[in-house]
Amino acid sequence: MNDVWQSDWSMMAPEWIVLAAAIALLVIDLALPSDRSRRPLAWGAAAAAALAMIATAAMIPAGSASILHDTFRLDAFAKAFKLILLAGGALALLLVAEWAPKEGSPHRGEFAYMMLFALLGAMMMASSGDLLTLFVSLELLSVSSYILAGLRKTAPASNEAALKYVINGGIATAIMLFGMSYLFGLTGTTNLGGIARRLQETNEPYMLALAFLLLLIGVSFKLATVPFHMWAPDVYEGAPVPATAFFAVVSKTAGFVLLLRLLVTIFAAAPAEGRDPSSLLLSMQPVITVLAGLTMIIGSVVALRQRSLKRLLAYSSIAHAGYLLAGFAAMSWAMIDSLWMYLLVYTLMNIGAFAIIAHIVNETGSDDLDGLAGLYRHRPLLAVALGLFLLSLAGIPGTAGFIAKLHIFIGLVVTEPGHYVLAAVMAITTVISYVYYFNLIVQLFFRPTFTAPLGRLPAGLSTAVVLCALGTLAIGWAPGLAYDMLAQFGHFGDFLP
Amino acid sequence: MMNLAWVVPLFPLGSFILLLLFGRRWKQASAYVGIAATFLSLLLALAVLVDRLGGSTYEANWTWMTIGGVTLTVGISATALNVWMLVVVALVSWLVHVYSQGYMAGDERFSTFYAYLGLFTFAMLGLVLSPNLLQAYIFWELVGLGSFLLIGFYFYKEEAKAAAKKAFIMTRIGDVGFFIGMMLLFWQTHSFDYDDIFRAVGDGTLSPGMTTLAAILIFIGAIGKSGQFPLHTWLPDAMEGPTPVSALIHAATMVAAGVYLVAALFPLYEASHAAMMTVATIGGVTAIFAATIGLVQTDIKRVLAYSTVSQLGYMMLALGAGSYVAAIFHLTTHAFFKALLFLAAGSVIHAVRTQNIEEMGGLWRRLPWTAPLFLIGALSISGVPLFAGFFSKDEILAAAWTNGPRLLFWLAVAAALLTSFYMFRLFFLVFAGKARHHEDAHEAPASMVAPMLVLGVLSIASGYMQTPWFGSFLGEWLTDGAYRHEAAPGWIVVVATIVSFAGIFLAWLMYGAQKMPRDWLSARVPYVDELLRRHYYIDDIYRLTVVSLVSWISRLLAYVDRFLVEGLARLAAGIVGAAASAGSRGQNGQAQTYGAVTVAGLAILVVIFALTGGYWL
Repeated sequence: MNDVWQSDWSMMAPEWIVLAAAIALLVIDLALPSDRSRRPLAWGAAAAAALAMIATAAMIPAGSASILHDTFRLDAFAKAFKLILLAGGALALLLVAEWAPKEGSPHRGEFAYMMLFALLGAMMMASSGDLLTLFVSLELLSVSSYILAGLRKTAPASNEAALKYVINGGIATAIMLFGMSYLFGLTGTTNLGGIARRLQETNEPYMLALAFLLLLIGVSFKLATVPFHMWAPDVYEGAPVPATAFFAVVSKTAGFVLLLRLLVTIFAAAPAEGRDPSSLLLSMQPVITVLAGLTMIIGSVVALRQRSLKRLLAYSSIAHAGYLLAGFAAMSWAMIDSLWMYLLVYTLMNIGAFAIIAHIVNETGSDDLDGLAGLYRHRPLLAVALGLFLLSLAGIPGTAGFIAKLHIFIGLVVTEPGHYVLAAVMAITTVISYVYYFNLIVQLFFRPTFTAPLGRLPAGLSTAVVLCALGTLAIGWAPGLAYDMLAQFGHFGDFLP
Repeated sequence: MMNLAWVVPLFPLGSFILLLLFGRRWKQASAYVGIAATFLSLLLALAVLVDRLGGSTYEANWTWMTIGGVTLTVGISATALNVWMLVVVALVSWLVHVYSQGYMAGDERFSTFYAYLGLFTFAMLGLVLSPNLLQAYIFWELVGLGSFLLIGFYFYKEEAKAAAKKAFIMTRIGDVGFFIGMMLLFWQTHSFDYDDIFRAVGDGTLSPGMTTLAAILIFIGAIGKSGQFPLHTWLPDAMEGPTPVSALIHAATMVAAGVYLVAALFPLYEASHAAMMTVATIGGVTAIFAATIGLVQTDIKRVLAYSTVSQLGYMMLALGAGSYVAAIFHLTTHAFFKALLFLAAGSVIHAVRTQNIEEMGGLWRRLPWTAPLFLIGALSISGVPLFAGFFSKDEILAAAWTNGPRLLFWLAVAAALLTSFYMFRLFFLVFAGKARHHEDAHEAPASMVAPMLVLGVLSIASGYMQTPWFGSFLGEWLTDGAYRHEAAPGWIVVVATIVSFAGIFLAWLMYGAQKMPRDWLSARVPYVDELLRRHYYIDDIYRLTVVSLVSWISRLLAYVDRFLVEGLARLAAGIVGAAASAGSRGQNGQAQTYGAVTVAGLAILVVIFALTGGYWL
């Protein structure tokens, strides 16, 4: 017990900040008279997330360390992904501050601190070194997210979204726990590093492969990849826009954190059956490749039929998860680098797009893509900004999205043996995705207006849009900025314990 | 000055940003921003050219990003080819900027138009300065984006919107080939740099099979951008854009980017006989294919569009036949005369407010500047001796004869015949004959005529850079003195000349003589009586044989174009669409289904694993 108290708790500073802010906001929300606006609470939550980001950034120079019997690890991986999670969380909280559903927003305070709790879960996941902490933080993220989905308590769509999210989340949890139980059964420990070490001595490749598949399917719920992608469009459509943005960005990033922490740490060196793969993870490459290909195809093809902006972005986010999974399937030397890069870019361009969609939904009460018609005529800068985010999502050069995709492409072709089929599927689905992204751009620039002109963008949303647009452009033209950060993380050389 | 070449694209970029921010306030004055910016680009480009004429290639690179152990650079490369393209693009762009001031006057989105033009010019200038494939690819895509915005400029027309999307997506299909080819080269050589790639080709690091594959894949990108068969169908549709745009993007610069790309990668292509043959064949087939379709079009801009496709095919044929110089020479002269033809067509449309040539006629007197200038363009493209097109086309024919298969040479000759025929069919229908209900038609303002005059001079003068008589200045400079004129037989010039005049003559018989009043004609051509008699005689035979045959083939090819090529495209789109509906239907809103799909997916994976016992695949 003694060493628990002597641990270096300052390593958890970002988590403490987020936790303290969440509890403080909860208390203030309770004490505040019900007729007072909760908007400052959301701003406070965003500020707390930004502060936690600064705290995380301040810890970058420190070497990797772990406390609490190696259940909490602070390595370059944890810091790097926490930065993305916090950036996404802070930006999503700006959307919460300007959330204006037609029935009013009495639950804005709840929205803000529940999102902070969810963010805390995601952050803890990035630092987990143990199955138990990993699972508990995953559940903290998930349960808070279910509540976020249902926050429009009087809107049936929101309730339906929450219920579907809970049911599917339950299935995912069950499958994942089942997989974890195999791992514990085989090794008798819950520590990730410990499991990896013991597995090298065991010779149960079939059992292990089963555990791997169960975990992969379980994780694919958070990633929204095939075969666990179908909940995403329904939940994204029904949930309030800030929550949708949070699921699409922070939850998905958390999913990839989980994927890397769990599957890479445990299986990278585990023995495997088969021709000559050096590890179980490598022997599973074909499965991941197929799932990545299917995800890209389904995400980009089905999106063609959507008229709801939120649903469309849901499918787009499925396609992007497919690209990310393709980057994972490549298992190149720069795999974590390229996933980090992609998720950073993905966060910026998605939140930017969601911020503008949030504005449209606030003003018109609908998220039909007709709402974009002729935006360029009355709000040219807004249209150009959304155009920029869409171009970036499509991966057009000159935007960050291109750099991120390029990184994954290079990973796919320079590894031996190269993954040409996957690269070709990625190239083709990218072209298919142009059809719907350009459909939106046509709406923006080439159509006359038939809705009332939109009002000015409120402060929170314009802050988010400006930050995201600057980031998207900066990384698009000077990707060196992001790569310098990767160099600071030492290309995640300390990832494996 | 060459070290300042990177500044050239920045002026139009500045114009784009300024107009985006302040265009609404400046309204019609926006034109001056665009014109000034492109003029500065042109001046600097000319200074760079002067510098390069006496110097050697300048190249500068800066580190852009480091991925793992791979360093990617950006930079500029002032090779002869690049500097040449820089000047051509800056010049045509400036002229089109000037012209648009008159053509687009009064449009309520005037400043937006200039902003888009700035974006396009920036991207195009950036493209031709790229020292590596990746940078070229980036600007290649930005060029496509500028084209997309400008084709869809008249967005209230459904056709314009559809054309913009079609153009972007069709060229993107080609770009997938480009991208994969580029990645293949990168995988093999670990570099995007042209020089590194050429070195790898030279020392055998790149296997012959891989060279061919990469070259053909990149050529697919060029097929898309340069409107070559079978990815050409977007180009005629792109005529929905404003006419100055058609002149700049869809005649002079962007569509020539495919030719430029193959030329820039020429050592790669030269290393593979199969790739060269592919380029030559696609070029030759496109040249004749598009020319026959051009015969039956009734929209003035569509005739010119098919003509552009056909002429780009010529350039590809020249490249495939190994004559880099001929291709770039024709690219240059074509940029001038085709831009002239489009701008003149714009002036005609401006005057009569229709694009249908069957509703035009007798405009020679009403448009005293436009008409002769159009004639100069038409003479040049038809390859009439002493005009620029004559010299460049002759160069291509000579290359096709000496290096290419004989069949392609004859296809090129036939295409030349058809070219002069459809150009003069256009000329006679528009400018000759009786004037038809547009008495108010009047000449365009000076801002439109002046650029045409400059292009008119260039459509003649640019031919003398490279002639069999005075010397091969362009060729020697482009190849650093290694150029030698193809020792082609002298009769090729004669055949080319005969063919060109034959086409004009046939057009005159069919469209000129038939419609022109007798006295007008006899005043100019004294031997008209005899010719008229012969006209009826030849005309009958002509109608019975050549016309019916050609028009039959032409219709057939138009059908092939419309139903087969478009049909295939539609089939592919249909499959994607059907998959999309099936996917949406599966999404039935039932949480149970979603769970079941998940568990089924897991079960399938486990069963496959159990069956294969870990031996995947």
